[in-house]
Amino acid sequence: MKNSPGALLSRMLGGGRNLGLFTTLLLALLLISLFSPQYLSIDNAMVVALQVSFIGLASLGTAFLIVSGNVDLSIGSQYAMCAVSAALLAKQLPVSLAWLAGIALGAALGLINGLMVWRISISPIIVTLGTLTIFRGIALRITNGFGVRGVPKSFSWLGEATFLGVPTPICALVILGIVAHLVLQYTTQGRHLFAFGGNRQAAEAAGINGKGLVLTSFALNGALVGLSAVLAASRFGTAAPTFGVGFELDVIAAVILGGVAFTGGEGSIIGVMLAVILLGVINSGLISTGIDPHYAQVVKGAALVIAVALDQLTQEQQERHRKKLAVLERAGS
Amino acid sequence: MNAPMPMPANPTPVVRAVGITRYFGGVRALENVSLDLMPGQIVALVGDNGAGKTTLVKILSGIYQPDEGSIWLGDTEVRHLDPRRAREFGIETVYQQLFLCDNLGAAANVMLGREPVRRRLGPFRFMDNKRALREAREHVAGLGVDLDDLITPVRRLSGGQRQAIAIARATLGAHRLIQFDEPTAALGIRQTRATLALVERVAAQGIAVIVISHNLDDVFAVAHRIVALRLGCISLDTLASQTTREQVVACMTGMAFGKDHS
Repeated sequence: MKNSPGALLSRMLGGGRNLGLFTTLLLALLLISLFSPQYLSIDNAMVVALQVSFIGLASLGTAFLIVSGNVDLSIGSQYAMCAVSAALLAKQLPVSLAWLAGIALGAALGLINGLMVWRISISPIIVTLGTLTIFRGIALRITNGFGVRGVPKSFSWLGEATFLGVPTPICALVILGIVAHLVLQYTTQGRHLFAFGGNRQAAEAAGINGKGLVLTSFALNGALVGLSAVLAASRFGTAAPTFGVGFELDVIAAVILGGVAFTGGEGSIIGVMLAVILLGVINSGLISTGIDPHYAQVVKGAALVIAVALDQLTQEQQERHRKKLAVLERAGS
Repeated sequence: MNAPMPMPANPTPVVRAVGITRYFGGVRALENVSLDLMPGQIVALVGDNGAGKTTLVKILSGIYQPDEGSIWLGDTEVRHLDPRRAREFGIETVYQQLFLCDNLGAAANVMLGREPVRRRLGPFRFMDNKRALREAREHVAGLGVDLDDLITPVRRLSGGQRQAIAIARATLGAHRLIQFDEPTAALGIRQTRATLALVERVAAQGIAVIVISHNLDDVFAVAHRIVALRLGCISLDTLASQTTREQVVACMTGMAFGKDHS
């Protein structure tokens, strides 16, 4: 049992929850390929990977935030601000500076959120709900509500470049995903994020620097959102202030579906990546089988609810099982 | 009845609180409290609810900052003591709420904030989980605590086991001062006895000990010195051998006993 392929795979994926996601992903691929055999191809895999890479990048930062017991709802508006700022700056500055500025702006916006969440002890949901509106408003103001025109062609290089045939957004997601996994799972910083999300007072009593942790994770999250936005704007060749409306919902849905507890203290990057891919496959798969794409919304939402419900039910079952064992133990002794 | 007070070779205090005053809003929790903590001495901190016992403990562990007064760690006056600085100096505390991370295992809780590092890569410190597990296991076994599974999240453990983990964490790093806030309040008779024995063992190693307790049996069983707080002020500070239950109770409650403390 211990060395069965299932157990081995479960260990590799880091837990039963991820095995469930992996199995669901395989099932989804199987179902889709039954209806639409051309779906399973390298080319199509690349298209799907490209589609999910923007949400994927942002979900890495959001996973860190939620594990540590915070959340940033303003990422969709940060996305818009970074994208239009990079596009606007590309008209004045060398494009490489414009790309960097977009990422740096993301980090700065994240840091602003982090500072407010740290200083104002009310829910990060409320604070970042406020900045969601503020950042969107600024993005609309600096563009007068229109897409940016006259962006030089060279601006597109970053997003369209490929490495060994793989587009940069996918490369960025793979590399940063691996880094995020290693940091969260194996470093003291990752451990402290879990501790902080599990019991903030306990973590601080143990000497963990809560302020540093909160500010860094918000700023990193912003930088990832900025990178995602710059890559998207670059591929697009320009940006509009309406970029990223509802982005935060897609990202948070993926992170929660990936097994990160919204209350903090639980989660893995592998789970989040599997969930990002699964949602992308559901999206594109339904389209390729010819089903009304509006159903994709319904299916994605249902997947989230079912996953969370299953988590809850498994936990309750384990609780009952432990209780039964404890009762048996008492009766035996 | 009292354990003999070991005569310290070096009678300088390890930690000193000097003239500590602390307000919470308009409420005065501590006023002009001074306390010298000697190596190997067990100080029982007693007082009614709201007398300021936990506040004093949290000031000494760096969680609260005093509004007036200062903390001396050895010969150094520390203006702003934070929990990290306190732990680095060797001050550890077992809080009444235990302060465990329920989502982490026993080993992770014991090693929290001092995880052994295998390798540094830029800003990242990769943990040596094997060493952490080994050190935690050795330490927990050394305390005589019955705990096999150090990986399961501690939310699934019993109250006694959770308490043992909090104590293990504190004793692992406390080489100067260890503070216990109501260590036996949630324990049965056998566990209480074991915990009190542990308190005496820790003190025998030359570590200063503060024990907050409402149980005067426990207090007289282990304390070398008894400090009573009343309404934020020290109303009694004496060697345990030179006082009686009646006097301690009188100083805690302010009821007249010989001297007037009101």
